[in-house]
Amino acid sequence: MRIRNHPIIDFKKKREISFYFNKKKMYGEEGDTIASALHANDVKVLSHSLRYKRPRGFFCGIGKCSSCFMTVNDIPNVRTCITPVKENIKVMEQDKGGELPNKQFINKDKKRIDVEIVIIGSGPAGLMAALAAAEQGASVLLIDENHMVGGQLVKQTHRFFGSREEKAGMRGIELAVELMKKVVEYKESIQLMLATTVIGCYKGKKRHNLIAVQKLADGDQLFEINGHKIIVACGALENMLAFPGNDLPGVYGAGGVQTLMNVYGVKPGKCVLMVGAGNVGLIVSYQLLQAGIMVDRVVEAMPKIGGYHVHAAKLRRCGVPIYTSHSIKEAYGKEKVEGAVVVKVDDYCQPISGTEENISCDTICLAVGLTPSIRLIEQIGVRTEFILEAGGHVAVHDSSMQTNVRGIYIAGDSSGIEEASTAMIEGQLAGVSAATSLGYDKNASEVKRKCRSALKVFRSGPFGEIPRVGKEKIACCYRNGGLTY
Amino acid sequence: MNEIDHKADVVIIGGGVNGCSLAYQLSKRGMKVVLCEKGYLCSGATGRCGAGIRQQWSTRENSELAIKSIQIFERLEQELGQDIGLRQGGYLIVVHDKSDMKQAKSNVNMQKALGLDVSILTPDEIVDIVPILDVNGMHAVGATFCPTDGHVDPFKTTHAYAQAAIKHGAQLYKFTKVVGIKKKNKRIDSVLTDRGKISTDFVINAAGAWSKQIAEMVGVKLPNKPFRKEILVTERVKPLFDAMVISFKDGIYFSQQEEGQVLGGIPIPNEKPGYLTAPTFDFLHHMAKTLARYAPPLKHVNVIRQWTGYYDVTPDALPIIGEVEGIKGFIQCNGFSGHGFMLSPMVTKILTAYIADGRTPHILKRLSLSRFKGKKIVREVSVVG
Ligand SMILES: Cc1cc2nc3c(=O)[nH]c(=O)nc-3n(C[C@H](O)[C@H](O)[C@H](O)COP(=O)(O)OP(=O)(O)OC[C@H]3O[C@@H](n4cnc5c(N)ncnc54)[C@H](O)[C@@H]3O)c2cc1C
Ligand SMILES: Cc1cc2nc3c(=O)[nH]c(=O)nc-3n(C[C@H](O)[C@H](O)[C@H](O)COP(=O)(O)OP(=O)(O)OC[C@H]3O[C@@H](n4cnc5c(N)ncnc54)[C@H](O)[C@@H]3O)c2cc1C
Ligand code: FES
Repeated sequence: MRIRNHPIIDFKKKREISFYFNKKKMYGEEGDTIASALHANDVKVLSHSLRYKRPRGFFCGIGKCSSCFMTVNDIPNVRTCITPVKENIKVMEQDKGGELPNKQFINKDKKRIDVEIVIIGSGPAGLMAALAAAEQGASVLLIDENHMVGGQLVKQTHRFFGSREEKAGMRGIELAVELMKKVVEYKESIQLMLATTVIGCYKGKKRHNLIAVQKLADGDQLFEINGHKIIVACGALENMLAFPGNDLPGVYGAGGVQTLMNVYGVKPGKCVLMVGAGNVGLIVSYQLLQAGIMVDRVVEAMPKIGGYHVHAAKLRRCGVPIYTSHSIKEAYGKEKVEGAVVVKVDDYCQPISGTEENISCDTICLAVGLTPSIRLIEQIGVRTEFILEAGGHVAVHDSSMQTNVRGIYIAGDSSGIEEASTAMIEGQLAGVSAATSLGYDKNASEVKRKCRSALKVFRSGPFGEIPRVGKEKIACCYRNGGLTY
Repeated sequence: MNEIDHKADVVIIGGGVNGCSLAYQLSKRGMKVVLCEKGYLCSGATGRCGAGIRQQWSTRENSELAIKSIQIFERLEQELGQDIGLRQGGYLIVVHDKSDMKQAKSNVNMQKALGLDVSILTPDEIVDIVPILDVNGMHAVGATFCPTDGHVDPFKTTHAYAQAAIKHGAQLYKFTKVVGIKKKNKRIDSVLTDRGKISTDFVINAAGAWSKQIAEMVGVKLPNKPFRKEILVTERVKPLFDAMVISFKDGIYFSQQEEGQVLGGIPIPNEKPGYLTAPTFDFLHHMAKTLARYAPPLKHVNVIRQWTGYYDVTPDALPIIGEVEGIKGFIQCNGFSGHGFMLSPMVTKILTAYIADGRTPHILKRLSLSRFKGKKIVREVSVVG
């Protein structure tokens, strides 16, 4: 299941790491997570559900959905999609809930960190926020729960659109490396904490309080972090679709599939049904072909393709049909996906009976949109509104990316679903704004002006329409205290 | 949104467990019922609560209501034709010292007189029932235990009531806020909502922590105060225990859900009344510390979520139910002080009998608003959270 030949990424064989799955010895490669190593060994069923004993596989691949829980070295409920595989670890399938370990609990004292600006999430938004704030002179703590920086960038092998200034023509994977280099240059002022999840966010009078847990080899470490300003750049969660069989291993989020193949060099399967013809669906389909995986077809419930036509054209040239006004009706299979039924849908997205078609495939990829991750900001009491064009409930914010709670900023997908380029600009804007509110100012108003005009340009085209409306509604909510758009 | 009905026999304010249960029972009796909920069903305390059901109380009123309520819960699945998630794993109430034990004994005697199967446990018997408890860590000298106490799913129950109510013709208006109540000649005339006016003879104030504001709309002063209460849930682990464990001294309560999550709460010191919603780190810290002291193996479990809800607290921690003197048709169903889920079956049954048949059982008088007028009140002491 390993990808060895790839037109863009060099997947050389890396050092082997041996581990145990249900007492059986298996091999992964350096850089693998437990889930990717298992997948490379063709193990797709990671656990069985508590009540109905249904098989469970992974879904999101980025630690957000909990469907990849396993017991690792006696610790239950480990998210195996973001946990690196290590020599000789014992990975067990957990049925009926994980058993608590018998061993003594290692009591570690809570550690405290005080810092000017805390940034949660090191995707394009978080990275740019950190750099922008550091450039202004502020000291920054950048936290990410993943074991590498870059967020969604690390899996994007295609070239970006947009202006030269906003890194058009670069690939996301290159961009992540470039931004990381800069972060290292600023190591005096940017402190990086990886494998650390922020689990709580509490409002204070002068400073806000964060609680974070860092995964360490000798057990978890709890941190209490006090920050004058907090920038939340947690990204988004992939949407699920409701259909019978949607919980079978082999039904994956498009981002999850992208992570598996472009980050870890592991094939999700042999033949894929792609659901959704937005940019994500189209791009990931093309990337599947690049990895040598067959894409049976792309189905799209809307009457027209949602993504850029260049991406659609590339796919069609490769012989992948795109069926508009079509959707998935069900997935079937015993322990994992063996096939799916697709169906034509009417103008109200209702299936038209008699148009069912049976497809044999082992992977179903859902590219049906993202939902902003707002759990932390909701906890701290930031006002949210449901704005369809922004992807669901989003934080209401002003033109400096500050929310209604003073000192709490938001940027990137968690402030409304858009794309990496705008996430970067928003991040920059949030970073500069947070720094200036602490009194730093290195040509700050000029930087902010540039950011705002760049955002305007990005959102002015026909494909910027939806996010533009979303952002206008957010601005309207901020001003009027309600949605009177 | 569609046009709403402008006439009803009864308007219920609040779509929590009490409002929905009333909507079901009154519509079943053939009355024309309209329920107004400013958010979605269960958006108040009902959807945020621990949903434990217990019969071990210090006052006779609460014990009686709770015992009869559990009898109703036991039949409810059959009655409504839907799963309500009833699980009877018992409530284990930790007793910490001599004076605690004295109170426990007097409670148990009163409860036994009401026919309840309840007993006093020795420290050894505590761990027979909940093996993960640390008797020394909890500073326990004993416990009381009632095996028929337990837990019910608040969402399933409330939605089952709501669906049954709709079947009987009740109108449930969600995202509809009551903004005023009109009276005429000392009786209820109509209810004003942000979607229009509804003429009615009866208004039931089941607005939870907002009941005080509703009563003010007709110039009635309720002694209720809202208190933010915090609660958390952990990740799922293999089932370890069935009972709800509580302590009146520490204020802690926790139980394990059917799917394996541990759910529980504790009050934080110096809480003040008010409409605060933000969860606090103090709670998380205090709860985690106390939980680990009570049940050390739970140190290994991760907390996945914490949230808040309101207790609608009265001076004696007993609910206010029944008609308000001087305003015909204005019915209270609030002030549950943190245990309104478990009392809902009986309370709503009593109110239904009053509204539909004009019956006034003795308990209705004892729990009316007028009990606070000058008289000395007997406070319920067996409260947690
Ligand atoms: C499959 C897919 C394909 C895409 N293709 C394109 C494309 O071609 N072009 C384009 O411009 N955009 C594309 N996008 C969109 C783009 O990737 C996102 O808009 C962008 O990455 C958003 O950046 P972000 O920084 O807001 O979030 P993310 O990149 O998602 O980063 C968020 C980070 O926050 C971390 N995090 C979250 N919660 C916590 C927590 N509690 N504690 C610690 N860390 C946390 C996460 O681990 C993550 O690293 C694609 C998205 C997907 C899913
Ligand atoms: C953390 C916590 C733990 C708890 N644990 C337990 C427990 O273990 N056992 C137990 O029995 N009880 C428990 N309780 C208490 C229990 O939740 C409540 O007593 C019970 O749910 C009250 O139900 P209700 O229907 O009366 O009110 P609620 O559920 O609060 O419903 C009132 C509704 O009225 C609506 N409303 C308010 N104003 C208006 C208006 N102007 N117009 C329209 N609608 C309006 C609100 O939106 C709300 O939905 C707990 C409570 C909390 C907060
Ligand atoms: S959390 Fe691991 S697959 Fe979603």
